[in-house]
Amino acid sequence: MRKFSFLMVIVFVFLLTFSAVAQEPVTIEFWHAMGGFNGEIVNTLVERFNESHDNIQVEAQNTGSYNDTLTKTQAAVQSGSAPHIVQIYEIGTQVMLDSGIIIPVEELGREVAQDNNFDWGKFLIPVSNYYNVNGQLNSMPFNSSTPILYYNKDAFREAGLDPNRPPQTFEELKEYARKLTIRGEDGNVERYGFTLGIVGWFVEQMVANQDALLVNNENGRSARATESYLDQEPAVRFIRLWKEMVDEGIMLNPGRGWDGAKQAFLSGRAAMMIESTAQVTNFTENAKNDGYELGTAFLPRPEGVDRGGVVIGGASLWAVRDHPEEELKAAWEFLSFLTEMEQQVYWFENTGYFPVTKAAVEHEMNGQFFAKNPNHLTAFLQLLLSKRSPATQGALIGTFPEVRQIVEEAVEKTLQGDLTPQEAMDEAAARVDRSLEQYNSLYE
Amino acid sequence: MRKSRKDFLNKLFIHLLLIVISFIVLMPILLALSVSFQPRDQIFSYPPSLIPERLYFDNYINAWNLVNLDRLLLNSLFASIIVMFGKLALGVLSGYAFSHFEFKYKKTLFFAILFTLMLPMQVRVVPLFVFVSNLGLANTYSGLVLPFLASATTTFLMRQHFLTIPKSLMESAQLDGCGPFRFLFQILIPLSGPALAGLATVNFLVMWNAYLWPLIILNSDEMKVAQQGVKMLFTSASERDWGLIMAGTIIVVIPTIIVFLLAQKFFVKGIATQGIKE
Amino acid sequence: MKEQDYDSHFSVPYLLILPSMIILTFFLYWPTVQSVILSLYRTAPFGSRKIYSGFDNYINLFTDPTYRASLVRTSVFVLVTIFGGLAISLILSVLVNQKLKGIKIYRTIFFIPYAISPTVSGSLWVFLLNPVAGHINYFLDLLFNIQIPWLTNGFFAFIAIIIATIWKNMGFNIIFFLAGLQSIPDSVYESARIDGANSFQIFRKITVPLLSPTTFYLIIMNIIFTVFQSFGIVDIMTQGGPADATNILIYQLYRDMFVNFRLGLAAAQSVILLILVLIVTFFHFKFVSKGVHYQ
Repeated sequence: MRKFSFLMVIVFVFLLTFSAVAQEPVTIEFWHAMGGFNGEIVNTLVERFNESHDNIQVEAQNTGSYNDTLTKTQAAVQSGSAPHIVQIYEIGTQVMLDSGIIIPVEELGREVAQDNNFDWGKFLIPVSNYYNVNGQLNSMPFNSSTPILYYNKDAFREAGLDPNRPPQTFEELKEYARKLTIRGEDGNVERYGFTLGIVGWFVEQMVANQDALLVNNENGRSARATESYLDQEPAVRFIRLWKEMVDEGIMLNPGRGWDGAKQAFLSGRAAMMIESTAQVTNFTENAKNDGYELGTAFLPRPEGVDRGGVVIGGASLWAVRDHPEEELKAAWEFLSFLTEMEQQVYWFENTGYFPVTKAAVEHEMNGQFFAKNPNHLTAFLQLLLSKRSPATQGALIGTFPEVRQIVEEAVEKTLQGDLTPQEAMDEAAARVDRSLEQYNSLYE
Repeated sequence: MRKSRKDFLNKLFIHLLLIVISFIVLMPILLALSVSFQPRDQIFSYPPSLIPERLYFDNYINAWNLVNLDRLLLNSLFASIIVMFGKLALGVLSGYAFSHFEFKYKKTLFFAILFTLMLPMQVRVVPLFVFVSNLGLANTYSGLVLPFLASATTTFLMRQHFLTIPKSLMESAQLDGCGPFRFLFQILIPLSGPALAGLATVNFLVMWNAYLWPLIILNSDEMKVAQQGVKMLFTSASERDWGLIMAGTIIVVIPTIIVFLLAQKFFVKGIATQGIKE
Repeated sequence: MKEQDYDSHFSVPYLLILPSMIILTFFLYWPTVQSVILSLYRTAPFGSRKIYSGFDNYINLFTDPTYRASLVRTSVFVLVTIFGGLAISLILSVLVNQKLKGIKIYRTIFFIPYAISPTVSGSLWVFLLNPVAGHINYFLDLLFNIQIPWLTNGFFAFIAIIIATIWKNMGFNIIFFLAGLQSIPDSVYESARIDGANSFQIFRKITVPLLSPTTFYLIIMNIIFTVFQSFGIVDIMTQGGPADATNILIYQLYRDMFVNFRLGLAAAQSVILLILVLIVTFFHFKFVSKGVHYQ
């Protein structure tokens, strides 16, 4: 018996070695922008895939920020060393479509991999609406998020506000912030009512939330965008509110970027803030540790304006065409694997990014996840209740990363008092128009 | 008696002044050091505490693990040592050529090298990236260090140094039948210890402190260098975790300070006096 | 002519220079030439389009208010940083040029920022200046009862990157100033003192003029440092903001290259900086050859 099992081991080892020699696994390079904790979750997903697929080896690389990843992809393409799959943020969609290097995932799945079992209708409508251009899905939705309002319920109670009735309009936001602001004896603000990092994304979302467009031609979806609407009332109105609240001393301006505002909110220096839904888990944990009650709500909008909704943010996975067919098929295997329910649920519960498929959402509904995590439910309902229109479908702009920066500068100029909100946004719109013209002329 | 007392007070005053200034100069490092040993709640307490309540090492452990600092430091060390020796070797050879030989186009060639003295990486980074990638060297140690190897500074300073060595040495060596390479290796180089040590320090620090090129040429986590670790700490920590970021920053800066302190004597004597005088 | 040279070994000098020349050709000259060529093209992201456009990129740059503002801003940044930095460094150098017990320790401390990278300098200062947990505002609040919005106000953000840059370059400047000071013979000071000059007069009439070669060299090196190496500082501290207040030329170049993906336009900016470097190099050469002449 012993001898026999020993022999078995020998045979097994031999077979293993042999098969390894006979069949080199196909290696797929996957570049992503998930650092820190989220990066570890990506690695876990990749390990799971590699363990269950002997013939494919996915090598995941964190290539820095979203912007770094886009930059490195460009450079790699020019030097012929592009990865197979790359994670690109939502505002890189148009530039990827124009790049001439990608293969739309729908083409990849249907024609290259001939995968007839894949259900193309499995994605949540707001998600597939964003990434569907020219009648097909071009990239695989992966990490999706939207902004929501976070608030400290204990601070609400302290200020005599109903903790279960968060502000719903711009006017209420201002009024609540005023009540929530605490000044010390020396006149310095100890706690601000509200804070918001200077990030272009929030302006885009606030415009969509008023069911308004960011650029012409149906947000650049019926034809290339040629004109920006940043100088129109929906955008300007929000900048004006921002300016007024900061000037009044009821809103903390933490500067450009995400960190300052987050830090202020988490350390109790601000009672309300708007942040990505990807932070729900993080914020909830933090509230638990610091002993206060966290509330979440839909984004406010100006009184008397039609409700639009939020646009899906985050990133999607693109396949690069210039690889052997065998490798492209392997890339498809991996992409398709990520959309399976098990992976989606794991991703969602660990990172806070939305699951992108209907099946995963149903699973979470049935499994009481949302009942136990009401803040996740807020995030989700806001997305599902958003009106379907070009406004909430999201804009397609070739120079979107630059546009975002122009908007951020305009906000800064307004807050510093260099320009009025209207002047700043007029200037921003002019700069965007110029950048669109230059970009479009390359593709005439 | 009175005079020496006045002298003493004078010296005491200067010492006090210098101590105060030293603290101001070192303040960024000292406060970073202090914060790196503090837990979160202490960092965000008001007024901020200058001295940690107790030595809290978690920030170091977390920073170390979060961005794989061991690997990043090893990469930086490896690349910096290669650049240090490589630059020195190339610089010694070409500096020797310009100090001890007369040849056609000497002036032109010298100018061609000197011209690059101040040409920063930023001016040519895009084509450089494409070129290095086309050689298949993106994300490799070779791709990382090769563009750093040629150095006008090292060539120039080695030449200046070699020129200071008495000419009589050469004549006698030549009379003894000593060939040009033997002369270099057996006479010139042994005479140049301090200058070489000084230049080695500079070159080590140039690579260790480089940021833009590694940022562009390296992709995978296991290839990245320590300076990128600093930026990664800013982006990886879920919110600005100052204790952790400062702990990582301290870890990255310690080797540079050690190298500098060890070689300070050579560096200050060898380079500073020569760079200007000639 | 000189008999001590190894004239008989005709090929030796070329062999000695060859390794350096190979590296320089491939990694310096060639990419630099490529930058110039690329600056004449309008390019699309991913290189999917490349259209020859002559000097359009340059014209676009000089008609763009953003770029022109960045030029002016960079000049101010360089001037303030160099004069502030050199003044502080010179004073500190004179202080540590005294014969005093333990003076070497102070010198070492003053040299230390030299070894620190721009990235680390940026990281240290962004912490010190941050409004929530930073110490600078705490001290200012304690002493003068003011809170400065260091990184959210354009003017103060500009000051902040100047502080970080001066601090980082200080070690280098002090090393060179000290070397210059030590090369001034004691006899010069002694004779001045015998003639009845006071410390300030000595400093103004003897130290400063005798240090002028050092100062000139440092001005040149500091121009290069502040124009190019400040990238790491700006990238960590402000990313060019707020409202472009710290968007210096090198950062604008980086943005056009890596955020806006206009390679041609970025290349044109490289060429403009290249011209600046050439001008500086020219002055440096003039100075070097003058120095050799004196010998």
